[in-house]
Amino acid sequence: MKRKYRNLKQAFFIGLVAAIGFSGCKKFLAVNDNPNNPDHGDPTLLLPTTQAAISQVIGNQFQVFGNIWAEYWTQSPVASQYKSMDQYAPLNTDFDRPWLNLYRVALINADLITKNTGAGLENVKGIAYLMKAYSYQVATDAFGDVPLSQALQPTVYPNPVYDKQQVVYDSIFMYISKAMPLLKANAASPGAQDMIYNGDMSKWIAFANTLELRAYLRLSSVDQATAQAGIAALYQTNPTFLTEDATITYTSTGGNENPFYNEATSPTLGKIQNVVASSTVVDEFKKNNDPRLAKFYTLFIDKIAPVDSLESIPQGSYLSNVNKKVSPPSPLVGGQANDPTSATAPVKLMSVAESYFLQAEAVARGWAAGDVTALYKQGIQASFTATGAGDATTYIASAPDGLPALTAAVGNVKDEVKAIITQKYYAMCGFQGFEAWNEWRRTGYPTFLVQSAASTIEPGQMPLRMLYPNSELTSNLHFPGVVPITTPVWWGISNP
Amino acid sequence: MNMKKKILLIIGLCLVVFCQAFAQNRTVTGTVTDNQDKTPIPGVTVRIKGTQTGVQTDIAGKYTLTAPQNATLIFSFVGYVSAEQPIPASGPLNVALSTETKALSEVVVTSQGIRREKRTLGYSAPTVSNAELTQGENPSVLTSLTGKIAGVNITSASNTPGSSTRIVLRGGSSITGNNQALIVVDEVPIDNSSVVGGASSLTAVDFGNRGNDIDPNDVESVTVLEGPAAAALYGSRASNGAIIITTKSGHAGKTEVTLNSSNTFSSILKLPTFQNEYGQGYMSGSATSAGYVTGIDDASDNFSWGAPFTGKTEPWGQEIDGVNQMKPYSALPNNIKDFFTTGFAADNNLGISSATDKSSFYLSLNSLNSNGIYPGNYDTYDKYGVRFNGKTKISDKFTAGINIDYNKIQANVPSGGQNANGIWNSLMQTPRDIPINTMGDLNNKYNGYNTVSNTYGFYGAFVLNPYWQLANFSNLDDVNRVTGNFNLTYKPFNWLNIEERVTADSYADRRKLITPKYDFTPADESGAGLWIDETNNGSYEIDQLNVNEVNHDLIVTATHDFGKDFHTSLLLGNNVRERSTTANFTSTNTSGGLVVPGWYNLENSNGPVDVITDNISIQRLVGFYGDLNLSYKNFLNLEGTLRNDRSSTLPVNNYSYWYPSVNGAFVFSELLKNSGFGDFLSYGKLRSSFAQVGSDTNPYELNTIYASTVVNGSFGNTKFPFGNVPALQVGSTLGNSTLKPEQTTSFEIGTELGFLQDRIKADFSYYVNDSKNQIVSIPIPNSTGYGFNTINAGEIQNKGITLSLSGTPIKTEDFTWELRGNYYKNNSDVVSLPNGVSQIAIGGFVGMGIVAAKGYPYGEFYGVTNQTDAEGRTIINKTTGQPIPTTSPQYLGSYNPKYQASFGTSLRYKGFNFDVLFDVKHGGVLFSDTKSLTDFVGTAAETGGPRFGQPFPNSVYLDASGKSVPNTSIPYSVYDYYTSVIGNTPGMDVIDASYVKLRSASLSYTFNKTQLKSLPFSALTIGLYGNNLFLWTPKSNAYVDPEVNSSGAGNEQGLDFAGTPSVRNYGINLKVTF
Repeated sequence: MKRKYRNLKQAFFIGLVAAIGFSGCKKFLAVNDNPNNPDHGDPTLLLPTTQAAISQVIGNQFQVFGNIWAEYWTQSPVASQYKSMDQYAPLNTDFDRPWLNLYRVALINADLITKNTGAGLENVKGIAYLMKAYSYQVATDAFGDVPLSQALQPTVYPNPVYDKQQVVYDSIFMYISKAMPLLKANAASPGAQDMIYNGDMSKWIAFANTLELRAYLRLSSVDQATAQAGIAALYQTNPTFLTEDATITYTSTGGNENPFYNEATSPTLGKIQNVVASSTVVDEFKKNNDPRLAKFYTLFIDKIAPVDSLESIPQGSYLSNVNKKVSPPSPLVGGQANDPTSATAPVKLMSVAESYFLQAEAVARGWAAGDVTALYKQGIQASFTATGAGDATTYIASAPDGLPALTAAVGNVKDEVKAIITQKYYAMCGFQGFEAWNEWRRTGYPTFLVQSAASTIEPGQMPLRMLYPNSELTSNLHFPGVVPITTPVWWGISNP
Repeated sequence: MNMKKKILLIIGLCLVVFCQAFAQNRTVTGTVTDNQDKTPIPGVTVRIKGTQTGVQTDIAGKYTLTAPQNATLIFSFVGYVSAEQPIPASGPLNVALSTETKALSEVVVTSQGIRREKRTLGYSAPTVSNAELTQGENPSVLTSLTGKIAGVNITSASNTPGSSTRIVLRGGSSITGNNQALIVVDEVPIDNSSVVGGASSLTAVDFGNRGNDIDPNDVESVTVLEGPAAAALYGSRASNGAIIITTKSGHAGKTEVTLNSSNTFSSILKLPTFQNEYGQGYMSGSATSAGYVTGIDDASDNFSWGAPFTGKTEPWGQEIDGVNQMKPYSALPNNIKDFFTTGFAADNNLGISSATDKSSFYLSLNSLNSNGIYPGNYDTYDKYGVRFNGKTKISDKFTAGINIDYNKIQANVPSGGQNANGIWNSLMQTPRDIPINTMGDLNNKYNGYNTVSNTYGFYGAFVLNPYWQLANFSNLDDVNRVTGNFNLTYKPFNWLNIEERVTADSYADRRKLITPKYDFTPADESGAGLWIDETNNGSYEIDQLNVNEVNHDLIVTATHDFGKDFHTSLLLGNNVRERSTTANFTSTNTSGGLVVPGWYNLENSNGPVDVITDNISIQRLVGFYGDLNLSYKNFLNLEGTLRNDRSSTLPVNNYSYWYPSVNGAFVFSELLKNSGFGDFLSYGKLRSSFAQVGSDTNPYELNTIYASTVVNGSFGNTKFPFGNVPALQVGSTLGNSTLKPEQTTSFEIGTELGFLQDRIKADFSYYVNDSKNQIVSIPIPNSTGYGFNTINAGEIQNKGITLSLSGTPIKTEDFTWELRGNYYKNNSDVVSLPNGVSQIAIGGFVGMGIVAAKGYPYGEFYGVTNQTDAEGRTIINKTTGQPIPTTSPQYLGSYNPKYQASFGTSLRYKGFNFDVLFDVKHGGVLFSDTKSLTDFVGTAAETGGPRFGQPFPNSVYLDASGKSVPNTSIPYSVYDYYTSVIGNTPGMDVIDASYVKLRSASLSYTFNKTQLKSLPFSALTIGLYGNNLFLWTPKSNAYVDPEVNSSGAGNEQGLDFAGTPSVRNYGINLKVTF
């Protein structure tokens, strides 16, 4: 027994020394290295994040806002998710998510790429600069003045100031010019990590030129001189323009589907068909006997239709069509919630048709050399090809809004632009709702948009911008104040 | 029987023989029992007054003694009040001894298991005994404390076995961190995590909190250390106070086998009040009767906005095989109520305790099997536990002890919330004329879903049949948990005590969340009605949580007396703690779902398996603490503590922090003892304390991290790898390598008073707690590229009073009447937040935040509501008659009550014992989705009454000069208001959360010895009991039990988002001691 006690005493003593002995303490406590996550990210791994984030904004939240406010789609009477958009009564919180995806996913990761000091990253950085230019354009086109000069620097500028839209546009051109030499540099290709063009730098150069053209044309109403000079300078470089859609190829794999379709099939929305065909655009398609109508929508016509169903309803008329089923957007544009082929619909950051129509407009305005009619026809044909509507020759020749519209306008820049933008509007149906709404705000074309029947704002008024997000309102000391959706952005016309 | 007892018995018997031989006196026999639990007390000394002659009671508490006819006997035993009784002329002399309850000698367990006489404590430390705790037979220790202590805010979400209980002492101190008290069971700090299932609190599954795993039947007592002062020695985690639970142990001289068996029935406590005037259907909205449109019947609708009831027999539901069901078009007032069944729970605890002079043990086995109020056997909770507490004296100097508790829990928890699996959500949308309670036969083609033809016959197109939901969705939980304390004490000298203790708490919680895959088209052949497809890709999710916590404590205590009056003790301790957790949440592909319906395995994932969380964490802490105690005579006590912690979670240059506490107690009644006043004031103490507690943070907050990319939409996402393309994104939270420890400072002053031999007792405290340098993750503008920054900032102050009063108006041998009451008022104030931040979200959802806002109490609701004028009247739009929403969100009140109170009384007459306890919370608010939903579908009582031509109740419009004009004529469309307009004003669903509850009631009868003579029991008590029995709420709350909460025990409280409804429990209890 005695001996045993001795051992216990010894054990106590050792324990005491071990516990109080500080030497091991620091080491014992050095367990705060995160075992769950890396502390750095390789630029080639950040690149797809940036691209997918922009595509999520354009292809999901702005897809709905854009297609509803451009009056391709309207709220289904048998659902309710997007009523507030047709009412022109969005909440500030509705814009938290797209703003977050722009700044906190797309831009910050692009910024981390461009700031990386590693070698051989020229091509990746070039793409990242273009992603920055594109994202900032999306942000400023949607919201007007946005943080840029002080953005993305949390320790230096915890409350970034908002830069004037004009300044933001200056930076957009600057980012594109920074991208150019990097894209042309002979460096390691990002390959498949570039989800848009698979590392093909010639396509990125065409993208850069088209984006620059798009950005300058956006200034046509507010600052014609800059727009004209910029485009002239651009054309002096013998630019190539986009001939392949800038798009991510979505698949039917869960989490890799078209973002809007993925949203609709989420457990919360449960495949409910929330958006349906708006008569605003459907009536125009029908007037022009446009074969693309049946491509953009899964039409409910005659006997095929279920009971109580309609081809389209006037914009925002869900209340007067209670419980009516209306044609949904087609799987081609990712819009039919109960059709799994919607999963593979593309999100078009820029399209071939758009590329031709941009060039056509530049030429029509006399700011660039070229053949307006040829470019116009190429644009229409590109749209027909993209929708699988086949050869556009007959349509171009006979549709009132086809070549006749352009021909009738020859010599009249305004009407030429009207014809071009209207055709661009048709091409963007369901694919590029946000961009179509942008161009309508810039030019007032097409002229047939109407105020939604569900509008809660003054008669005659239309949404001309998006609201700043609630997250900025509550966290940014330099928040500039709420701007109503009826106030145009700097480049926008006041009464489109 | 042990040797010592045998010897004593022999001596006793000898004495009897001796006495009988020398005197002609009367022989007295009798039994000595405990007057509380009526069990016999062996070893009681029975002495003839004025002599040294006496005996001891035997194992059955019996004695036999010969004494002079006129003698008086004195009965004494340690821990009991001695009793004197004259020998009766004839018959036995039975005596019931009462335990010593005098405040002067009451011993409480304080931090680190230190036992202290209550009079020496300079802080409040109320104690609840087993008998008080188990009054209502609630299976949760934490819920059982409700109303029994002042200064504690307890919220029990649904009051069912395994559901969440939140316990906050004196308001809580943290903005975004844990605010609940530390729970310590037999010196083992136990994990009290509450990991809610489901993606958010809007789709929550309440898997409860782990602090509820302990069986109340095993508990000897609970001491609540309310302030940081009391808990300074426990370190950081006790900055919100501590609940010290001591479990039973063997008592010398008694071997006891106790079986406690309760059979509990449950029923739903509160349902919304429904309208019974209008049935299924919708209408075209019009404000006036002129435009009245008879409700258009839609047999698929979830709306009760149809025509007024006619009583006419009409077809309803789907037309299947050419046949429509028929029923009268009239209200079914109880269709929802009758959906629920009576729940049943059997709770059994078998406890064995025994002790010798060297060793003691307590062993218990317990089981709790419950099947709740939902129909069928789908909401089940089964818990099995074993506890062993043992202690043995190895020698004069060494003592070793062990406490081990194992629990196994298996449960299936019905989903709350608004997803396809939400049962309450489906039920509340049932039109007033649909006999949902009769639709349980899922083989009936009008009720069910046919997985062969993939059609459904159920009437509802917008909700699922709740019976089918119960049978097909499940949330299975399987918990295995061991907690233990292993200790060794060495006492080399009388004045020195060294204790080495290792405690561990380890559990694995494995959950399986099952959503069926289905794609049903309506069976309907009529073409009428708007039946739509019901589809779900299905999912299967496995959530695995492991928590391990190990604590080592080495505690050295030295005591020394300076002379007769001055007593000192010094304690030095070292604590080493490690907490490690793993969380693995995986599910079948979120958008792809399942491939094969009905097969629940990750192998059945349609698309890559989603890794939701794969996280491990380790957190370590080394602490040193000291406690110096000085006491003078019996009435003055001073204590000081000091602790240093080094935490692995803080930057190395800031990882060490010190914090002190001092407290003093002055028992002034000792000075009055010999004055006349002393008879009136039997006990009086003043106490005061000041303390600081430092606090560390969570692991891995110092560096910014990168993570695999998920780009979230509103409900969907883009997830990487994308095909074969991997991606990373920078984390949303900026790392901060300059974090400092948090600091909570508290001050308390209080008094304890006893009057008229403690027949009236009072305990009062005033306190101020101030938490500064809070480590909070604050939202920063997303334009910085990040969402959050973890910084030291912000201050919360809690000030309040607690008051406890108790009295015994009547106390005779046979009859006792006791009254007791508590009052607790806490004012919390968010004093400051970081620059530019006006509030920090702690919960809620888009449009309705629950926030910590500067200048407001903690837990404010924040949302848009209707505009009102100065007199509180609703301002309407002159054209539409509809209320006008506020232009910005408003602060709508906190979920924290303004005050809480409780009142209890007990009556004891002979073997009968009757006890009731009421509790009150007043002044808090809650957000009720039940209100929102029943308003929307037109089932709520407030949607009843005239639906046309009415002006909005108590409304005004503003004239040109902005003055209010009472509105008596402008009607509003009731239909538009409840189905659309109110949707923009979630603030209208924030309602008064005040309530009065009959928290518990019990009636029991304890049989006396004579009644048990021929039975093998030494004690037998049978009783009826109930808990959460009745609820009274203000008129404005016609919807739910205000305690119902959808997000478990976290900081997000007061959120009724279609959570599990609460129940009343009542039953019969049997307690037998062998």
